[in-house]
Parts: sequence; C-alpha cells; structure tokens
Amino acid sequence: MSTPLSQALAALRRRHGDGVIRSGDTLEGVEAWPTGIPVLDHRLAPGGIPLGRLSLLAAAAPGVSGRLTLLQALTATASRERTAVYLDLTGSLDPGFLADLGADLSALLLVRPPSGLWADGLSMARSLVRAGAPWIAIALPEPRAALVPSGPPDHRLAGQAAVTPSAPQEPQDSTVAARARPAADPGWEHRLTGLVEAVAARRAVCLVAAADPPAALGYAASLTLECVAEGWHEIHGDVLGLRTRLTVARSKVSAPGETVTLLLRYPRPFATAEVMARPEVVDLRTEAAAGIPVAAVG
Amino acid sequence: METNPRVTASLSARILCARHAHLALVTAWRRHPELRAEPVIVGGAPELRLPVIAASAAASASGVRPGQPLREAQQRCPAAAFVAADPAAVASIRAELLSRLCELAPIVEVGDDTTWCDLTGRHAAHRDETAWAVAIARSIAELLQDDGVAVGVAATRMVAEVAARQSGARRLHRVAPGAEAAFLAPLPLSALPLDPGMAARLAALGLDCAGAVAGLSAADLQRQFGPGGLELWRRVRGEGGVGEGWPVSRLDQGARQLGERVVLEGGIGDLEALRFAVHRLALGVGERLRRRGCRAAVVTLICELEEGEPVGLRTASLQRPGGGAELWPVALELLTRLRLPAPVTAVRLEVEGLEAGAGRQVDLWRGDAAAEEIGGAASRLRARFGTSAVRRAELAVDPGDLPERRFRWADPVMEAAVARSGDGAAVGGTVAPAEKRASEGRPRTAEKRTTESRLPVVSALRR
Repeated sequence: MSTPLSQALAALRRRHGDGVIRSGDTLEGVEAWPTGIPVLDHRLAPGGIPLGRLSLLAAAAPGVSGRLTLLQALTATASRERTAVYLDLTGSLDPGFLADLGADLSALLLVRPPSGLWADGLSMARSLVRAGAPWIAIALPEPRAALVPSGPPDHRLAGQAAVTPSAPQEPQDSTVAARARPAADPGWEHRLTGLVEAVAARRAVCLVAAADPPAALGYAASLTLECVAEGWHEIHGDVLGLRTRLTVARSKVSAPGETVTLLLRYPRPFATAEVMARPEVVDLRTEAAAGIPVAAVG
Repeated sequence: METNPRVTASLSARILCARHAHLALVTAWRRHPELRAEPVIVGGAPELRLPVIAASAAASASGVRPGQPLREAQQRCPAAAFVAADPAAVASIRAELLSRLCELAPIVEVGDDTTWCDLTGRHAAHRDETAWAVAIARSIAELLQDDGVAVGVAATRMVAEVAARQSGARRLHRVAPGAEAAFLAPLPLSALPLDPGMAARLAALGLDCAGAVAGLSAADLQRQFGPGGLELWRRVRGEGGVGEGWPVSRLDQGARQLGERVVLEGGIGDLEALRFAVHRLALGVGERLRRRGCRAAVVTLICELEEGEPVGLRTASLQRPGGGAELWPVALELLTRLRLPAPVTAVRLEVEGLEAGAGRQVDLWRGDAAAEEIGGAASRLRARFGTSAVRRAELAVDPGDLPERRFRWADPVMEAAVARSGDGAAVGGTVAPAEKRASEGRPRTAEKRTTESRLPVVSALRR
C-alpha cells in the first residue's frame, strides 16, 4: 500500500533521479590517505587525510608551530608512493631538507609561481590536480612574517613573547608584499574554489599549511588540524626536534576535538645515511617509553 | 569447479549501449529543422520502389518500420514528410560522433541508431561508471540534438542492448555486474534478440519469460534446439553469445589522414628554426592523434622551398606514434635526413594509416598515463608562468659544503621527453642520444629564447 510519503519519494526520484534520496546506511564513506604515522591515522576518523577534500594544517598562533615540517614530512612520505606536488608560496623550501626527510625528489614537482600571488599558485595547483596529480601540498606564507625585516630566523615558539621586539615595517619586495596580503590578491578565493572542485573530482589529497588561514580557506577545508608547538626537543643544548600538539579543530568528516602530540625530529643535514631514511616523525608516547629524553621549553 | 575463461572475461567487461535517433533521420532534421516535430520518413520519394531507412517517432507510432516499402509507409502515415537519404551527410555525422566519443571511451562503435562504448575499468575524470555513462549519453544527445537517447550498461552487448531498450528516453539502465540473469529473468522472450521460430517453439512449450528458459538445463535445450539451444541457454543467462566480443572502433576513410602546415615568414634556412617549427607541428598533430585515440603508421614531412619543388621524406615507423611525445622523435629524424637546397617557406607534417590505438588515450586512465598527463600540465604551466614555475630537484652528486649546492634544478618536462625519445630510438637509432647530448651542452632556456625570436611564424593552417 502506497503512503503519501512513498508517493512523494517516488515522484522525487522520477523527477530528479534515483540518487537524490538515499537511506543513511547506503551513503559512501570517506576514503583516506594513511599518513604512515599510526598515532595520527588512528586519531583521524577516516584513517588519515581524507581523499577528495582540502585539509588544513593551521598554526594556532604566530611563530614556530611545526606545520611546515609536518607538511614536508608528509610530502616526503607521499613522494615515495606517487607523484607529489609541493606548491611553495612561502618561497623558502629547501629541496635538500625534503631529501633529508626521505623524499623521492624524482617524484616530486616543486611549484613556485614567479609572481608569488596566491591566485597564480592556486591556479597552477588546480591545473596539476586536474591533470591527475594525486597528492598536493600547499605551503602558504605567514602574513606577519613578511612584515618583519629580513634577519636571523625567528625561533620563538607560538605564544612566546619576542626577545627583541621590532616594529613592523612594510616589505620592500613587491612579491613579498603580495604574499603577505592575500586580501590584496584579488581572485584567490575564486581560484581556491576551482582547486577544491578539482580535488573533489580527482579524489586527490590536498594538504594546506597556513599560519593564519583566511576565513575562506577555513570554510573550504574539510579537516583543520591546529598545530601548537609544545617545546623543543634538545639534547646537550642542541635542538634536534620539535614537540607539536595537533588538535582536530574542525572536521566535516569526523567529530572534532581529537588531540595527538608528535615529536618532529629534524634530520641532520649532509648525513647520507638519513637521506634514505623515513621521515623522523614519531609518537611522543613511544619516545617516552623508549626512554629518550625530551626537553621542555618554557 | 572450472570456470569458462571466455565467460569470466566477458562478465568482467562493461559495455554501454546507447540507442538514439537514426543518423539518417538526424541528417534530415539538420537539413529541415521545421520537420523536427513532424512525422518524417527517410528513404526517398514514396513513388520510388525503395525501402524505409528510418522513421521518426511520430511516423513509427503510425506503424512505419524500417525496411517497409515506401508506398506502404505512405499508406500507413499519409501525413508524413518523405526525405531522401544523404549517405555523405550520414558518414560525416558518424565520423563526428566517433571522434567525440573516442575522447570519452577507448573503444567505440557507432551504428545507425545504436552506439557502443567500452566502459571497462575506471575513468579518471568520472567518479563512477554511472557518471561516465551519463557523460557519454550527454555527448551523444548534444551532438545529435536528440532528447530520446536511452542508455544501458551491462557486462555483455546483448544485455546492454536489452537494458537500453528497457530504459526510456533520457534514462540510464545499469545492470550491476553479476546481475545479468536476474535482470533478464522477468523479461518476455520477445524482449530478447532470439530467432522467431525458436521463440515460437518456446512459447508453445509454455516458456514465456527468460527466467523460465534459464531454469532449464543446457543439455535439455541442446536436445531440443541443437547447437542453437546452448547458445539460447547462454543468452537467457546474460552470458553473451558467440561473436559477442568487444565492440570495435571504426575509423572512417576520411579520418585516416591528419596533417598540419606552418607557414614561415620569408625563407628560413636555419635548422634550429626549422626544428622549432617541426616540434610545434609534431605536438599539434600528436595532440589530434591523442584526442582521436589513434596511432599513425606512416609519417611524412614536407618542406616547401622558396625556389623549386617541395622536398619531403616519409617513414613507416615501427613504433606507431600516438601522441606528440612519440611523434616528435620521428619528425626530427626526418628533418635531420632531409637535404634542403633552398630556404624553406612552409613545413607540413602528415600522418597516414591511422588505426585505433585502443587504451592509448592517456587522459582516460589513471596509473602510468597520469605521469604523462601531469608532465603535459607542467609543460603548459612553464609556458605560461616561466621555466622556474614548475621544477623538479635532484640531489647533486658532489654537494660540497654549501647547502644550496646540495641539489640542482632539473627540467621535468624535458626529462620526460628525452626518456620517451629514447624509447623511439628504434625509429632512427641515434636521434634521441644526439638530441640529449645537444640539450645537455648548452643552457636550455637560452636556446629556446633564441629559437623563438628567430622564427617568425605567420600562421598555422590546419588541413
């Protein structure tokens, strides 16, 4: 016996197709790319970085957060499995560091728009994803970092006060200015929409690292992992790594709130043995169990 | 239990059948758009002793069928407009449809009112089989301007055709893999392409649907109908029949040759400039080959001279090129062998003996083809944004002490081209290594800039 509800459902299916109304148990699950870091894959509900969606590594505060190191470590992992693309809008990527992290440089395309504009970079990323690039990492610059004069690198952790505060100055280079102010780069939000569509259509992995992500980027991301630096990993006064806490701040694929702490161990440069090694991203709990000393900063 | 490999292979295949308006009817509508809503019969004037070739839906509703004498068709539908068939126009639209569908599926067969496409595997641009089939159906409907395209997708040709007949206009009927027998079971025998005599005997036995016949044993049917009984048993179970293999691409005679021509401003005698022009031609022709999913058996390079007759060379390539990257080494070899007695005013590159290169449409599939596609996209980005926009780094053999000397930038696109031209060494032997040495010996960007400034290309004419 047909009820008004079943009649309405039948009418809707006739008019709009069979796929418009489905029962909840037939919905397709979100596929994921496992990062190779068990503790992280375990905490992320799909089992890794979701495919076909944009994921964001965001710094909770300006300064060191470990997001770029984690992004490059994941890029290195991906390059050993497939063709990976690294869109460097910060202009600071060192391919040698990627090699130290274990990246297969022959499978890695490094993209750097000469103009430094976000719109150009996102447009290039979209082209590559549409061509079939299955994994893409995007490093966005830190707006405030571009406003300070060039000098020694800022090793402050997020939330720490500056030792020698300096007044912000206007950047002299127009490229740096473009990087610093995405709002002055008209059309980048439109290009971001195109990139998201391409990523969804090709079911690619898209991971963006941004210090202070604009609102549009936050809306476009299906998964936002907030990175907070907890302290340096030091031995005999030498900085060997960074302890980073990742929190699922926002997620369209699972429940937010999960937290995991990682130790990002920096590879030693010029060490041939480590060029072929796996990325040194380890779970802190494992490290503590192994008796490796972890120095707290603060 | 042993499985029949032919049946297993057949079941793993996915075939799309699209039923659309007869191509002769479509050409008639193109010539007479005012007849689109009228009953139309294609075949000629009613007084001719010719059969009906195609009839519109309105005429078919009056009982007009293809094959009927035109006089009988006039009696059944007196209000119909009679249009003569135009074989040339039909061939043209068939080639057009074939060309468009070859961009969506690796194997295509275009019939008069039915089109077949191979949907086996997974398309890189479409999420699933349904989306892929919908894209093909939309393409057919758009080209033929036919709203009544009905599509069926199944593991065999027969089941796909039955599914297309069962689905209505603008509908897609997809038979899931392994569900062929269940799909056919409730259908009357008249819905299956069976011999009428056999169907009548089955009806006399009280077997009125495919499921009833499928329930019988193969031996029983073979005893009743001979070898045809076994074929019948296979068909009603949706396992396809003898001769139902893959659809086959058909390339019309007109599409067996492609070519492009570049006109140079003034006479050019510089080999570097000619090399740039030939490279451009090879990429253009190769792109057209790739989009058609074809490979070329013969490649011809012709240089038109300022004075005297054009000179040219032709080669039958062992490795048949199917894209720009494969065509370029062949064309380069022809250029290096060519003796040019006078400056060149135009260059022409032609490919002949085209044949279907099934599965060579690199934009269709994931896997190995993706690297080629990504390389092409990187090349386009470099052309648009500059050579430093997309790069690949490689570790330096002797890094030294400076961090910036630990790696050096490589050119991914040229690397891929050199690698592919190395594959093409069977054609000419020394072309690829010589090219590689030449490219290593000087700065690549400076070479390109110089070549571009030297070549005043006026126009590129497509034939």
